[in-house]
Formats: sequence, C-alpha cells, structure tokens
Amino acid sequence: MDHHEDNSDTLVSPEFTPRRLTRNRTKPKKYDGFLDLTPVKRKNRVEVESSEEEFQESSTPKPKALFGDDDVDGQDIFKFKSRHTKNDLQNKVKAAVNNSVNSPMKTPRKKLLHAVNEATPRHVVNIMKKKISQAVETDSSESDFSGSSSDFVPDKSDEESVSSASGTDSEVEEEEEKNVKKSNIQIPKNRNNRMKAKDTEYFVTPDNYFMMNSSKKITTSDHTLARLKNMNINENMKEIAVHMSEQHRDKVGELVKTYDQLFDKWLYILSENFNIILYGIGSKRTILQRFQTEKLHDMPCIVVNGFFPSLTIKNILETIVIDLLENTHVPSNIGDVVSLIESQLSECCTDLFLIVHNIDGGMLRNFKAQSILASLAQLKNVHLIATIDHINAPLLWDHSKLSKFNFTWWDVTTFLPYVEETSFENSLMTQRNGALQISSLKSVYQSLTSNAKGIFQIIIQYQLENHKQVHYQGLPFKDLYSKAREQFLVSSDLALRAQLTEFLDHKLVKFKRTCDGCENLVIPIESVLLQQFLDQQTIMQ
Amino acid sequence: MESTISVSKGVFLFPNGFKKTKHSKKKPKCNLNERLSKDLWYETFKCNWELIENQLKGLHEQTYSVLLNDIVNYVKLINQEHEYDTLEGIIPSATLLTGVNQPDHVNQFLALINKIREDVTPHVAMINSQDAQTVKHFVENAVWQLIHGQDVLDNSADENIDNDILTQFRIKKNQCTVKTLLSWYQTKYMKQPPKKQKCSVLKKALVIIIPDFESFNCNILQDFVMIISSYVRLLPIVLIFGVATSVSALHKSFPYHVSSKLLIKVFHSHPSHVYMNQVLENIFLTHTSPFHLSGKAFELMTDVFLFYDFSVTGIIQSIKYCMIDHYYGDNIKSLCCRRDEIEETVNNLTVDDLENIRHLLSFRPFLEVQDCETKIALFKDNNFFREILSKELHKLHDYIHTFYLCIRLLSVFVKDLPKNTLGKTIRELYTKCSMECVTNTQPYRESMQLLNFQSQLKLIETIKNALKEINFDIPVTPLRSTPSKNNLHNITLKNDLGLDFAKTIRIHLLTFLRQIENACNDTSVFTNTDMDAENDLENINVPGNRYKLKEKLLKATRVERIQSEYEMIRSRFVCYLEEVFAKGLQPPHTQTFHEIIFFSDVSSVKKQIVGSPRGAIHTALSNPIHYLQVCSNISNLPGFPSSPSFSLLYVCMYVSACKQPTAK
Repeated sequence: MDHHEDNSDTLVSPEFTPRRLTRNRTKPKKYDGFLDLTPVKRKNRVEVESSEEEFQESSTPKPKALFGDDDVDGQDIFKFKSRHTKNDLQNKVKAAVNNSVNSPMKTPRKKLLHAVNEATPRHVVNIMKKKISQAVETDSSESDFSGSSSDFVPDKSDEESVSSASGTDSEVEEEEEKNVKKSNIQIPKNRNNRMKAKDTEYFVTPDNYFMMNSSKKITTSDHTLARLKNMNINENMKEIAVHMSEQHRDKVGELVKTYDQLFDKWLYILSENFNIILYGIGSKRTILQRFQTEKLHDMPCIVVNGFFPSLTIKNILETIVIDLLENTHVPSNIGDVVSLIESQLSECCTDLFLIVHNIDGGMLRNFKAQSILASLAQLKNVHLIATIDHINAPLLWDHSKLSKFNFTWWDVTTFLPYVEETSFENSLMTQRNGALQISSLKSVYQSLTSNAKGIFQIIIQYQLENHKQVHYQGLPFKDLYSKAREQFLVSSDLALRAQLTEFLDHKLVKFKRTCDGCENLVIPIESVLLQQFLDQQTIMQ
Repeated sequence: MESTISVSKGVFLFPNGFKKTKHSKKKPKCNLNERLSKDLWYETFKCNWELIENQLKGLHEQTYSVLLNDIVNYVKLINQEHEYDTLEGIIPSATLLTGVNQPDHVNQFLALINKIREDVTPHVAMINSQDAQTVKHFVENAVWQLIHGQDVLDNSADENIDNDILTQFRIKKNQCTVKTLLSWYQTKYMKQPPKKQKCSVLKKALVIIIPDFESFNCNILQDFVMIISSYVRLLPIVLIFGVATSVSALHKSFPYHVSSKLLIKVFHSHPSHVYMNQVLENIFLTHTSPFHLSGKAFELMTDVFLFYDFSVTGIIQSIKYCMIDHYYGDNIKSLCCRRDEIEETVNNLTVDDLENIRHLLSFRPFLEVQDCETKIALFKDNNFFREILSKELHKLHDYIHTFYLCIRLLSVFVKDLPKNTLGKTIRELYTKCSMECVTNTQPYRESMQLLNFQSQLKLIETIKNALKEINFDIPVTPLRSTPSKNNLHNITLKNDLGLDFAKTIRIHLLTFLRQIENACNDTSVFTNTDMDAENDLENINVPGNRYKLKEKLLKATRVERIQSEYEMIRSRFVCYLEEVFAKGLQPPHTQTFHEIIFFSDVSSVKKQIVGSPRGAIHTALSNPIHYLQVCSNISNLPGFPSSPSFSLLYVCMYVSACKQPTAK
C-alpha cells in the first residue's frame, strides 16, 4: 500500500518525491549500521531465531492439490457485499438494458475524451489519464449507490474532491480539469433525467391528498396476503415458464441435456457401492426422473420427496420393509430394520435404488433420520441418489455418516424452477400450507352423512362470523344443539354428541372447556382456510 | 399429474417387476453388475480392484495384529483369573484409544471380534450407539448377541449337548434381560454334572464391545454399567470401550460411583497417518499395483486425508473412485493390468482401440524417434503395432519397477538427513518425483550434498537398510557373494531397467558396503607428505597469541585437504547414487504410453471427491454463463442480456402477482 501511494505521489506532485525517496533509502542503511554495531552474540541470536521461525513455518504443511485456480474464491462467497438499496435492482436492470442497446450516453463521452487527448501535450496526458480514471472510478462507485440518493446531485462535491486530490495549480491542468468537469457533470444530468422519468409514476394529485387525509383514522390497506386465494400451482406451470427468455430456455434445455450423458457413469459408480449426491441451483427432479425412467426401469426403486412436509423416516422404512419386501411389520429397533433389509435384499439378489429428492428436506434434517439413511446407504444392495439444495446441507453429516454415505459429488446446475419442491412451502408470498389441511378436510367431509355435514357447516359458519372477537372461545355446545335442532339435523343431545365424536376422532373439531363449565367447539384450522373450504363447497353444490 | 407428487404421500415405490416370492434360486433378472460386465475394461477393473482389496485385507490383519493380541491376552488373563479375583462388583474393562478417524475402526473392531471368538470365547457382543437408544434396547441387544453369538461357532462342535439347550433358549429379543442371560449361562456352564470339573475350567467370559463410546448417551451407559456390576459376580463379563478422544472422556461421562465399578486398562492404537502410510507404501506405491496415480492425483488424495477427513477408509475409497474413473468406458485401459496378462489383452483389443492408442499423446515422441518405415508400419500394420505395444508396455512395467525401487532407496538415504528437504515418507517422495524430474531440483542436490558428509557408521547402516529394501523387493536368490566386478571403477549402469536393474544395484551396493566397511577413516595416512603443516599444527597447542592461531587456521584451510580412503569411496558412492537416481527417477509422464497406467485426470475427479455445493451455487448465481456456455455461445450476441432472469422465489411472486387482480 505504501509503495503504491508513493507512486501516485510521483505522478501528481514530482517535487515531493525526492525527499521521500531519500528517506526510504536511508532506512535500511541505518539498520545495517545498527546491526554492525551490535555485538556478535546478538547477531547470532537473531539468526537462530530466524532459523527457528523458518523451521516452524516449514513444519506446518499446507495442502497443495486441494485448491486450484478454478475454485471459487472464498472471498467472493463470504465477503460482505455492497449495500442493497431500494432502487438498486432497478438501476442494475436499467444499466444492463442500456449496455446491450448501444448505449447512447457512453459514446459521446469517449469521443470527448479522445478529442482532449489529441489536443494535450504529451507530458500532461499521463496526469490527465489518471484523473479521468479517477473520475470514472468515483463515477462507477457512485452508480452502485446512486439509487438510494436520487435527489443528491454530486457534481460540485465530486469536482472538488478531484481537484483537491490533485493538489496542483498549473494552468494546463486546470484546462484538463474543466474537461473532466464537463464529463462529470454530464453523467449526473443524465441520471437526473432518468430519475425524473421514474418519479412521474408516483405523482400525487391533490384529490388523492384529500382522500388520504379526510378520514380520521389512518387505515392501512387490507389487501393482505391472507386474502389471496390459494391457487393450484400446477395449473400455471406453463405460464411460469414465461419467466425465462426464449434463448435462455433453449440453453437451459441444452444444459440439462448434457447431464444425460452422465447416466451410464452414475450407474457404474452406484454399482461400485458409491452413492451419488447432486447439488447446484435449479430443480434436479426432472433429471432424476429421467435417470429413473431410462436406467432403472427394471429395478425396484423408491422415490422419496424429502421436501414433503409430513414425511417421516418411518415412512421410508415401511415402504421398504412392508411394501417392497412384503413383511408384516417393521421391527422397532433401527439396527434390526437395517439388518433385516440387508439380509432380505441379498437373499433376493436385487439392488434397491433409493432416490431422495432433497435429502436436506425439513423432515429429514434430524440426526436420527440421517443416521438411518446413512446406514441404509451403506448396504451393498442399496444405492442412494440424493439431491441437496440448502446452502449448508453438508453440515448435516458428520465424519462417520459421510463415510457411510460414501458420496460422490456431482454439480448438476439446471436453472430450472423449483416447482414441486416449493409447492409445499409456506412462504411469505402464498399460504400454501393449507393445501394439506384442506385436502384432508375435504376427504373427511365427503365421507360424512348429510346431517353431519350440516352440523359441521354450522360450526364453520359460526367460527367465521365470530373469530374476530378478541377472546373467541368457540361455539358453545348448547347453541350448537339448538341450531342443529332448528334445522332438523338432530333430535336429541345424545345424537349430536354421537355425531361430534366423528369430528373429534378426525381432529376436525376440538372441545374446549371454559371456566364456567360449558363446552365449546373450535375448529383448529385457520379461518382463511375455512372460508376457502366453504367457498369450494358452495361451488360444488 | 406426476406419479411422484402427492399431497398425502412422500414415499413412492416402483417395484418394477420385483416380486419377493420369485427369489427362489431363480437367477435374478437384472443384476446391476451384469449389465456392465461385458466390457473389457470393466473386467480388468473388477479383477484389479479385487486384487487390491485382498491385499488391503491382509494388511488390515497385519497392522491390527499386535494391538489385538494385546487385548485378547488381557481378556484371556481376566478369563482365567476371574474365579480367584472376586472383587465385589468390579467389572474388568479394556479401553481402546482409537483416534478420531472413526470410520476406520469398524474393521478394527470386527477383527477384534473374530480374534476373540477364535481365541477366547464365543460370546461377544458389539453394541453401536444407534442400537442403544434406551437401556432396554441396550440390554436386549447385548444379551441377544451374547446368547446367539455362539451359534456361528457351535454348530460344528459339541452339537449333542448344545442342541437341547439352544432350542430351550431360542428366545425372542424382547425377552432378553440380564436375568435370562444369567439363567442361560448357568444352564450352559454350571449345570453339567458329568463334566463339572472340566466345565468350571472352560467357563467362558462374556465380552461386550462398545465401539463408539462418545456417541452414547451417558445415562444409558451408566445404568448399563451399574446393572452389569451387580451381576458380575455371577457372570464373567468384560467390557471393551472404543474411545475416540482420550481416557478423560471415560471419566467425564462416568461419575465416581460408576467408574469405581470399572477396572480399566488402556490400550493405544496406531495414529491413522501411520496406518495410511502403511497402506500407501505397501499397496499402492509398489510396482505390483496394477494402477498408479500421477503425482498430482496422489497429492490430492493425501491432502484430502491430511486436511479433511483423516480416515484411511476415505482415502481408499477416493483411490477407488480414481480407478473407476480411469477405467470407465475406455477399452484401452484394460491394458492397465498385471504384467503377465499384457499379451492376452493386447490381442483382445479391437482395431478401434488400437487407433485410440495411436492417438495417445505420449505415443508421439516415441514415433518421432522411429525411422520412416517403422512409422508407416506402426500405422498400417496392426499386428506389428500390437507387438510394439506389448513390448513398450513391458518396458513401462520395467520402468515402474525401477522407479519405485529408486524411490524406496532414495527414501532410505534421505530419511535421516537433517532438515528433510525432500520429505520423510515415501508418499512425499513419490509426489515430488512423479511431478518433475527430481534430480534437477535444489532440495535433491542439497540432500545429496548432505549425504556426502555422512559418517562411516551411519552410511554403513543406511546402505544396509537400502539392501534390505532391495531384498524385500526382489526374491533373494542365493546370493553370489562374489560380485563379478570387484573393481569399483568398472561399475557402470547397464541400460536395462526392471529386475535386472535391481539386481545390479544390489551387487553394487554390496560392493560399496564392503569397501566402506573396510575403508580406514584415517586422514594421516595420506597427509604425511606435508610434514611442515603437521608441525605447525602441533604448535597450536602452545598458547600463543590469538592472531597467530587465526593465521594458522586460515593456512590450514588453504592447504589441500587430502581425502581419506573412506571419503574417496564415499564421494564415489554418492556419484554412483546420483547416477542411479538420474536413471531411475525419470518422472512417469516422460514415458511412452504412460496414460494407460497412470491416472492423471485430477480435475474431473476432484469435483466428485471433494464437492463444493456452495461454490456451485455462487457461480451459478453470479456468473450463470459459466454453466450455460457449456453448450452454446450465443450469449455474446448483442441485445441479449447475459444472465437469465430466473429467480428461485419466482413461483411465489408470480402466483401472487397474477392473482392480485381477482382478489380485489
């Protein structure tokens, strides 16, 4: 750093340099002299120390082959990125658009610079160049942040900083500075124009102002996410594909195709008791599905959706032990299960393929599930192909699990959207977690008698009407009874209770006992979902 | 729509024609291995890997034997002394400090079990932490294994006695308690009136092995120990703990009242890097190994070991992966086989394979040396090419033989030198030698210089070690103890490599050894010519002034040092060694057809062995072109944004965006 600064100084202000240089030169001389003066003993000691250091340095070996040039630099991954601001993304997009369409702003500036260069004498060019590059640098660094400060016009201060940095007052340079200024000013102007164009979108009319301030209470928009209807994502699959441009879709398609060439090799590797793990951005489901249909069509395989929210490790074991190997029950002890699977598979001489989409899925993220999977994958007749997407997925496995898994790692970046994988996700944007509940609700509801359906509807409607109360306790049993009697759904208290047991068994309804002793009925499902359910039912009818 | 998407299921079975009932002796319809087996390369790979695996097994037994014998003897001792030694409720136990490379220890413990079964007692149980979630499971497992463990051995021996007992005690697992164990044990060993005398002698110990002590739940282990300790008077139980860290782990997890019930003896196992060196030196870095790693690849393997996992199983698996990658889909790699099979394989190659061999890069320098006619013949005449090919391959094998021999010799000579500029172990030397011509490097020259200062005794010792190394390498024929060439000046290296090379080196080394042993190390014999100097030197003893002494010493340095006989021989010996090494330590990539035997495609293997999910995600997001350009380069077209505008959250955003209008 020091050295670098020195250089820059020599460029800008030549009169300072000699002094610095001499100072630098004298330093080592003095040091030498000091060493000469010191007694021999001391010198020796110094030498000994240094050799010790050397020894220590050489005694800690460093990996040589692990890290190559093609690795991603750790700095790139882990270092702090520049701040992201509101308009950052927008600016980037605009920049990209301007770059691709022969940017009209850039070229004139270049021309201008060229003209200046021709006019200036030789010795000034260097200084000029440096300044311009400085200016460009500051400019470019600005553009990163420009979005956040749209009203800030940096021309003056910028110019000042440039001039102060130079610290020279020769007339020639002033001329150059003016040129630089010109180019500097130009850019912010352009930017301002851009900003203005954007601002018009948010133009506030006086009417709007009065509308906003007329009501006493300031209300926020009630267009909450909860009001969005859940939709069947699968129906919109084709529309989703629109998000990628034509060329990109083609290229991604080609990229995905290239992975097909690996299938034979995977099979070979799997047969040698290695297991395969796929990583990289994009959904890897389609690839694995193709692998399954192309190569594993005549072998037993089990597909596990690790992203499935109510998956348990027991499900997997049951599928293997009961469905595939036709046993009657799964032993309770894990070691027994594994040894059972091992013995029966080797008896049958079959290879079982275990395809796990997202082995890092939420329900498989515990110690037990992973250790069972590891001991399954270790078996000679079980071959595991798994995918991971979580950035910290490798932290799931410790030393011994990793050696049991015996993975080979494959980078399978597809850029395909995670359609199925995210379909169960309850993200901020959509309330997808209801899908399961609704479907289960539906299936139970359809099996009810019409009277029971009526009773259930009474409870739903009451809950929807009253759930906004601060302390909603549920529908009191007495009220339900009277309502049900009104509609001729039940004739006695006992009959109603008999109907309710059905709901209780399926956990559609919960009994809540209040402090005054009466029983209240609550449906433990969100009201949004209930509303949706009710809507669907009315549509069906 | 899709068969593997459902809102109520997460696991899907595709039996694909698999029926369990069909398995009766019928040939399985589709075994995975059979699909590949028709290829030549696959057969070679299979056969070679089996070879290596067998060697590994042998080595396992060899390395563990000392330690295991110690433990087994200890168990035996306890078994014999048990009846006299009736300390109240104290369980004899052995603690095996294994080291952190747990994956390797599976084999070790299996070997231990076999050894104990053979030598001491048939009743051995090994309980892994995953089988012992609760004390109940723990006890059930242990007891079940102890009772049924002997079935394996007993069906041949005294069947008549055991059969009725066994049938009686064929118990379900959930009935296994220590009490059942006790009654079973008593019926088996105590209540045999006719042989009472004999049986009390034969009373066998019950050994319970806990291989991964640290991963157990402390409370379960404590309870288990307490239970056992209350029975230990009646049942001769021995515990063996495998502890990965240190003995203090044992003390930490057991409070005093528990640890006081244990009589602990500690055994240490080898550190894993010693074991790795053994595996590498004895199996992979020998000329008998059919497959060799290039320096870079080898370095990757050792680095993964030293810096990532520290597990020998891991390094073996990585090498196996390299081998898989080496052979995969390439018939010419079937030439990478044992030496005596070369001719056969060469004859089995198809014309296309031969053509592929002609395209090998290392074939080119070989071709350039040949004269015009042979060149044409090499391309036109397949039979001639086959002949040359097998000849060259034999040459390559000879070279490999010499190469490894020289590395071993070099390691013997260099091992004890100060500073270890070349490295101590054979694997370090191997990486250096196979990456570049080591004889041209500075560290090599330095170590040769240092060798030139070695004392007589030391040198004799190293030469003896070197001879051992050679004798280990080649079968010791009845030594012609009279080397034909006694005259050192005639010692020249012949052009041949391989076995003959080793033999000549042995002869030469023997000659040198004898000469060095006989050489007198006395300079005075030769220096008597300069009597003045001698006199001057004697004057040193006189306490004269310092200046004079300095002067004299300076003078002494200027006087030509006349070498002693030993020094002369030594310098000649070092010259000889340099000559040998210059010949033998040519790096592999200089050899013709080295691609066939040496695996060098490090970059492709590295991704699969090490794997960098984070890096992949980063590159994909920051520089998607890296992936997309693989197939096309239209991204450079104008008006085409370089990165696809895809987004992981897209689904959600899209859905909410297009539903917004209807929600209003």
